[in-house]
Amino acid sequence: MRLLLVLVALLASCAVPERKPEESPTSPAAPPLVPALPPYREGVAVAGLMEGARAESAAGNLAGAAAALERALRIEPRNPRLWHELARVRFRQGQHAQAENIAARSNSWAGDDKPLRAENWRLIAESRRARGDNEGAKAALDRAASSP
Amino acid sequence: MARRSGFWRFLRFTLLATALATALFTLYLDFRVRSEFEGRRFALPARIYARPLELHAGLRIAQAEVVEELRGLGYREAPPEGDSGWFSRRDGQLEIALRPFVYWDGAQPAKRITVFFDWGKVTALRDAGGAELALARLEPLPIGGIYPAGNEDRVLVRLAEVPKHLVQALLAIEDRSFYTHAGFDPRAVARAVWSLTSDRPQGGSTITQQLVKNFFLTPERTLRRKFTELVMAVLLELHYDKNEILETYLNEIYFGNDRDRAIHGVGLAAQFYFGKEVRSISVAEAALLVGMVRGPGHYDPHRHPTRALERRNFVLREARDQGAITPEQYAAARAGGLGLSKKAAMGTTPYPAFLQLVHRQLRRDYDEKDLRTEGLRIFTTLDPRAQSAAESALSKRLAQFDRDKRFGQPGLEGAVVVTDPQSGEVQALVGGRDPRFRGYNRALDAARPAGSLLKPAIYLTALSEPAKYTLLTPIDDGPFVWKSRGAPDWEPANYDKKFHGMVPLRIALAQSYNAAAARLGTDLGVERVLDNVRRLGVERPLRPFASTLLGAVELSPLEVAQMYQTIASGGFRSPLRAIREVTTQEGRPLARYPLAVEQVFAPEPIYLLTAALQDVVREGTARGLEKNLPLELGVAGKTGTTDEQRDAWFAGFTGDRLGVVWIGYDDNRAARLSGAAAALPVWGEMMAALQPEPLALARPEGVELVWIDPQSGLRGGMSCAGSIEVPFAQGSAPRERAPCSGGLDSAVQAVEATMEKAKNWLERLFGR
Repeated sequence: MRLLLVLVALLASCAVPERKPEESPTSPAAPPLVPALPPYREGVAVAGLMEGARAESAAGNLAGAAAALERALRIEPRNPRLWHELARVRFRQGQHAQAENIAARSNSWAGDDKPLRAENWRLIAESRRARGDNEGAKAALDRAASSP
Repeated sequence: MARRSGFWRFLRFTLLATALATALFTLYLDFRVRSEFEGRRFALPARIYARPLELHAGLRIAQAEVVEELRGLGYREAPPEGDSGWFSRRDGQLEIALRPFVYWDGAQPAKRITVFFDWGKVTALRDAGGAELALARLEPLPIGGIYPAGNEDRVLVRLAEVPKHLVQALLAIEDRSFYTHAGFDPRAVARAVWSLTSDRPQGGSTITQQLVKNFFLTPERTLRRKFTELVMAVLLELHYDKNEILETYLNEIYFGNDRDRAIHGVGLAAQFYFGKEVRSISVAEAALLVGMVRGPGHYDPHRHPTRALERRNFVLREARDQGAITPEQYAAARAGGLGLSKKAAMGTTPYPAFLQLVHRQLRRDYDEKDLRTEGLRIFTTLDPRAQSAAESALSKRLAQFDRDKRFGQPGLEGAVVVTDPQSGEVQALVGGRDPRFRGYNRALDAARPAGSLLKPAIYLTALSEPAKYTLLTPIDDGPFVWKSRGAPDWEPANYDKKFHGMVPLRIALAQSYNAAAARLGTDLGVERVLDNVRRLGVERPLRPFASTLLGAVELSPLEVAQMYQTIASGGFRSPLRAIREVTTQEGRPLARYPLAVEQVFAPEPIYLLTAALQDVVREGTARGLEKNLPLELGVAGKTGTTDEQRDAWFAGFTGDRLGVVWIGYDDNRAARLSGAAAALPVWGEMMAALQPEPLALARPEGVELVWIDPQSGLRGGMSCAGSIEVPFAQGSAPRERAPCSGGLDSAVQAVEATMEKAKNWLERLFGR
């Protein structure tokens, strides 16, 4: 099926002249308005802190886990994983409103990371349910399902 | 006979009464000595720290900047001395012997690390054994305290930590028979009594008496007070052993002043004068301190180095003669200089404006008395690099204005706030032209008209309705009059005194056109716009007048920072914080001030607004920033200039810093300076010194980038020269193509359409 698609596309592209690189619409006066977000890869420092936070969290020291994650976020404020883990800790601390907001913050940096988006939406759904907002929870679950 | 017995009875009665009174008085003194000495805990100031510098591979910091931080902490440059507190430099490498420090999340022992630098970046960290380290923390810079009465500062030490040579030199000079007397020296007392009558002050107090005097008594010299002191000294000796008394004394003695801060105790004196822990001070240093006990001001080694040196040598001689030190120790110690630490005087704090903010945030949760006496440790968000960049950029600009006569006296004032746009942590705060001045703090307390700084709220309100407003929607900048009952007509004029007709929305904001903004704001509804101002984080009451839209509302620079913070963090509001953690003196965690976020705007309109704020810098009123910072950083910001140019503002952000600068007169006279001319250069110079990260925005799912021909505002293409990429909320971009998009473009369009059709057809065929 994919082969066929490629074939058809090739045929179609033969019918018209190809784009020429020198005719790119960018003029020197117009740089793209906003640089694109590079895909996220954390450094060793943050990876270490994240591991520490997980250990703290597993040992039940949620305040310690949150502190380690915040420390990591100061180093990599755009790391969507860190925001997500912090949201999980807040949820376990019973801070459901914070959990929801921080999961949304994670989504804002998640880019094309669809599994992470889905995880965030599920966490948002759980937080909403914990606060008695069942309708909101359902809407969030729908969002989770639409970004598998 | 009756008279005689009456006399004896009287005498007996008097004697008895006197004895009773003396006994009662002694009992009372005994009670005071015991209760106060026992219950006596030194009042310890809350100690305030900057953020610790976290070193890790990839951190953008130059070797020189780390060295500066280390010097601020009182680290000495090699040769290595002791097991910690020094560093040594090689090309591209820095070896640091870190001191032990108790952080909020636990104690970190002393350790040795090597940091590798290349091209203004940390490339690697290794421990003493050469193993790779992921992360290393430099202890945070102490930036001041919240002090007890008299600004008394001290660092408590145990007797066991104090070197023998210090104690022995002290006893040799101050109290030779300390370990044998009963609290006083009878001959000295006799001499003292004699001196009272002869009107010449005399020393001769034992260490116990000196302690009693400092602890319980006022400094007047009367016979009665001398007697009380004596009795109390004896009582103290009865109840406590010599070492307890000596330890308390060592922590109590006064060692002069660091500006307005009083240095008490050998622990703090060792840190203040030599940058060392008391346990590691040398014989010569100990002798200098001992020499100061008698007259801390008279023998101040900073102000009177020669006198202090002579006094030190006298102490060394005495110590040698008493056998407290060996002749070899004497000779070695005498040969050296004063060896004072090079750390600049700091007084109670070098950053009074920032400390004011910290103190205010603390007062919400702590008792003032606890702050001044419990020795709490407060870990704050201050970034000393950002602070010094902010201070120097502001003072440099103000100095330029001072040279220009037209600005008069008193000169222009200013304030700066720097925050971390992601977390809302306050990194720097300058409250006026003299950053060391403790008083009126303009960053917190100057409420000044916000002017055009409020305009982003209008455009944000518009962009929240993508069906009606895009960045390209034409806005009318024709003459505008707002009539409302009971108020004079409001006719906002433009800065250039012209009207510009229909202009695209992003240009209306970039050029800060008043008539366009007023018309747009009133069309949207004043209350709706003000509601968004509140959601951005402005908490003070806003008058529901149309003129409020153009900034007829007074805000402090900190409030402006809060408002822009919400925009910079993608519509997530985080309260600005100056404190991270509080621990007890021993390091037990008391409180954390966690990062809190609240999503108050959808990401799409905030993204569009930020793109428009980038246009302000790229082609609008803040174009001048190019002098300081490259365009590629994509800085977003807004200038603000108020009526008659009384206030000049700039608020803006990069990828990692947000800054607000205000300049104006305290008495509100017209400064005749625009935001672009006065505040923007300060912002630019400050940020340039901090080498900010580019502003990389996360494009929300609901936003697409479309090539637009700016002439027609329609979809451009490769044959439309000067096309620009403009973000639109999904589905709000123009569909029509600009006339300039020629045959080539339609061919490309045809391919795309064919591809789409083929795909659909195939999908239907194979029923995917």
